[in-house]
Parts: sequence; structure tokens; C-alpha cells
Amino acid sequence: MAGALDPLNPGPLESTSGRRVLTVSRVNALVAGMLGEYFSDVWIEGEVSNFKAYPSGHLYFALKDEGSQLQAVCFRHSAQRLKFELEDGLAVIGHGRLEVYQPSGKYQIILDAIEPKGLGALQQAFEQLKRKLEKEGLFAPERKRPLPLLPRTLGVVTSPSGAAIHDMLRTLRLHKAKVRVLLYPAQVQGEGAAAQIAEGIAVLCARLEVDVIIVGRGGGSIEDLWPFNEEVVARAICCSRVPVISGVGHETDFTIADFVADVRAATPTAAAQLVAKPWEELETRLRDIAGQLLEAAEQVLFEKQQVVEELVRHRVFDLMAARLSELHHRAERLAGRAEAVARSALADATAALSALDLRLNRQSPVARVLRQKVAIQALSDRMDKPVLSFLSRQNVRLGQAGAGLDALSPLASLDRGYSICLKPDGSVVSRVGQVKAGEGVRLKVSDGAIGCRVERTGDN
Amino acid sequence: MAKSEKPTEGIDFEKALAELEGIVKQLEAGNLALDKSLALFERGVQLARACKEKLAEAELKVSQLVKDKQGLFAEEPFEEAKG
Repeated sequence: MAGALDPLNPGPLESTSGRRVLTVSRVNALVAGMLGEYFSDVWIEGEVSNFKAYPSGHLYFALKDEGSQLQAVCFRHSAQRLKFELEDGLAVIGHGRLEVYQPSGKYQIILDAIEPKGLGALQQAFEQLKRKLEKEGLFAPERKRPLPLLPRTLGVVTSPSGAAIHDMLRTLRLHKAKVRVLLYPAQVQGEGAAAQIAEGIAVLCARLEVDVIIVGRGGGSIEDLWPFNEEVVARAICCSRVPVISGVGHETDFTIADFVADVRAATPTAAAQLVAKPWEELETRLRDIAGQLLEAAEQVLFEKQQVVEELVRHRVFDLMAARLSELHHRAERLAGRAEAVARSALADATAALSALDLRLNRQSPVARVLRQKVAIQALSDRMDKPVLSFLSRQNVRLGQAGAGLDALSPLASLDRGYSICLKPDGSVVSRVGQVKAGEGVRLKVSDGAIGCRVERTGDN
Repeated sequence: MAKSEKPTEGIDFEKALAELEGIVKQLEAGNLALDKSLALFERGVQLARACKEKLAEAELKVSQLVKDKQGLFAEEPFEEAKG
């Protein structure tokens, strides 16, 4: 090895052992000189990888092919002349020179011109599959199924340990989505991932309760996301019984799964939001409708009330009300009067009753009889003595007078054959002129009377 | 309120909301007898309440499918890895 260096630039000979020992710096300086000389004007082709644009304007990336890679730099003055954007996966042809960065001993190619060369292998595969599926009509807008109005059971195909499931569950909770989540744990990168993802979709959509599926994963390199660009996944999405939402990587990442899915969400979080949204809307809709219901009912009542009030305000009711109030007052007045009358009548009746009672008591026949009995007693007491003495005196006188009286009585004359002529009216006929012929008279005699008729009148 | 009036059990949110919206429209259109309006209102309140209760009692449930030895899938509760 040492011998190969000799002719170009021999180092100093070690005195003790006769070996030529080079310093690191010396080796790197030698290599730098050789590379600079032999690779000062190189055309190179490869795929851009790990591309980074620095704020300084310099571009750093690797150029790679199936077996190897080489660090590349494109400084600002050259980068400004590029007619396209460099990006990972892009196949390019560049021109430049090799340079050894002596502090690290690494070498790189400094590119002063870059042009795209077709597409990178992965990009190529992506474009090929995309064209093929598009031709089959799998991306057609009319194939896209609407998401369920209110998802009940959400099938998820993703890694159980990745950021995606975490983000999705957090989002569902945040928006109060009351869904049942059924996770199919799948490897989402590397060998065999695509087959697992495809199986997950098939298994989930075979379960009848699942009404929507999300397939996805968090961000990563194009290689990480690659399973979602494979045909087996695309076919599984197409065959799904229920709508599939894709949520792969970041917003700028587009995969075949995105094109085939019924809805492409930019990220797993966005996918979960699509499922959660109807639940959130349901709550507001319910609140709104309840409000509207109340408002409508109030409006109905208000209108009915208006009708009633309008009727009530009608003149007829005013008149009736006036009449009613008049009647009312009259009734009240009458009632007052009736009461007064009743009261005084009652008082009168009471007074009369007690008066009657008094009078009744006073006029009770019992009392009267008693009183009169007393009076009679007194009277009889008072009368007895004088009357008796008077009577006995009179009796004596009566006996004495009787004899004299008899002599003077007309009745005694009758005994002696005299009679008395009486007119029907009882008057005594003592003159001729008192009677007329034919007139009836009575002749009173000592033991009775004789009925007679006047034949004629005249002087003897 | 009579419980057996109209079924609100096992309510379908979409159907219930559609019926509710119909009721609101009918009420808003007016031209209804008062007792018909009140009956509609009562039904609406019933539906709204049922939906609200249903919504309140529902919750997010997470499980995962795990393949057993026969290759059949069984549901297991899914515990999220912390951090």
C-alpha cells in the first residue's frame, strides 16, 4: 500500500524502522489532491435522498442508487440556477467535482449543475400504480361513498403503539364522539405491513357493526409511508363494504390509499375529526331544534292568545261588561236594601212578638176570670148587706102596696068586665077616629084577648 | 306523561331529529288547532328529551381485535400506551 503512494508524493522515511509513516492530515491532503485531480469534472446520476435546504441557500442531500450512496452539496450560487425543486426520490443527473472535507476525512461531490432524470424508483412505482388504478376507475368521484350520517362503530387499522391511534382517540374524546372504536392492530411500515393493513380492512368491514373505517399512520419518510402505496392496500380499500377514510402522514403526503379512499384526510387527527364532527353537530342540532320547538310552541300560543284578546276587545264585550257591572251594582244595592228591610222587619217582628206576649199574658182569660171573680166577690160583698136589707124592706112595702095597687089596676077593671081595645100596633083605642071599618082590633079581657073587626064607626 | 305513548326506546338519532324538525316545521307553519299544536309540542319535547338522555349516556368505547389460536378474532379492551 505504502508503495503505491511513493511515486506521487513520498513522505519522510522513518529513521529507526525504515517505514514511511504518514499523519492523518497528510493522508487526507494526499487524497484530496488526488481526487481533485482525477474527479474534477464528473457527471453523476442518482436518486435524491435526505434532501435539506439550508437558510444559507446551500442544498445538502445524498445521491443514491440500489447499492450505494454519495453525499452531495449544491452551493447557493449554483442552487439559484436550478430550474426545478429538488426533492427526495427524484432521479437526477448532476455535474461537479469530488472534494475531500479534510477535517472529517469525508468526501462529497460539489454539484454545479443538476437536471432531473425521469423519476426515482419508488416514485416510478407510485406513478405506475396510480396510472393503472386510475385507468380502472378506482379514483373516480362517483365511486366515493358518503360517510355515515352518524358513525356508531369505527374500525381503525393502524399501529397500536403509534402516534396515529393516540391522536385519533384524543380527537374523538375532544369532540365527544360517542363511537365504539374497534382497532385492528397492524404493522404500518416495513416488510409485510401492506398485507397486514389489507387484512385489517377486510376483517373490519366483515363485521356488520362497523360503519366506517380509518386507515392511517403518522408522518415518516416516503419509505415509511410506502405500504400505503401498495396495490394490496388499494384493492382492500376498494373492496371495503363501508366507507374508508385515509389519514396517512402529514398534509403534504399523498399515497395511493388517499386516492382510493372514499375520503382523504390530511392526517390521522383530521380523519378522526371527520368521524367526530357528526356527533358534535348532533349535540348542537339537538340544542337548536329544542330551542326552535319552544319558540314555535310559544308562537302558536301567542297567536291563539292574540285571537282571544282581539275577541275580548270587541265592543260587544265592552257593552256587556258595562251592562254586567251595572247589573252587578244594582244587584248589590237591592241586596243591601233587602237586608236592611229584613233586619228592621226582624226587629219589628221581635218587638211585636214580645209586645204580643206581654199583651197576651195580660189578656189571658185565666187572669181575667180571676180578676173578675175577685171583683164580683168584692161587689157581692159590698152589695149583699144593703141589698138584702133593701129587699126585705121592699118586700114589706110591696106587700102593703099590693092591696092598694090591685084596686087601681086596669086589670082589676077587666075582672070587673071592662075590656081594652087595642090596635094591632098595641095602641089603646079610646076614640072612634082611631079605627077604620074593616080594621082588625084586639079586645083585651081579664083572662086573655079577643080578635075583632071593626064593622063601622060612628057616635053610639 | 304516559310511558307507553309512543316508542322512544332504542331511539334512532337521525329519525328522531328528522321527526323533531318536521314537528317544528308544522308548528311554525301555524294553521293548527291548539290541541293539535300542544300534542305535537308534547311529542317534540319527548323526542328531544329521549335524544338528550341517549346522548348523555353514550360514551366512547375502545377495543382491539386479537387473533386467537384458531385464527379467529376476539375483542379485547384496548389500553392506550402512555406518553
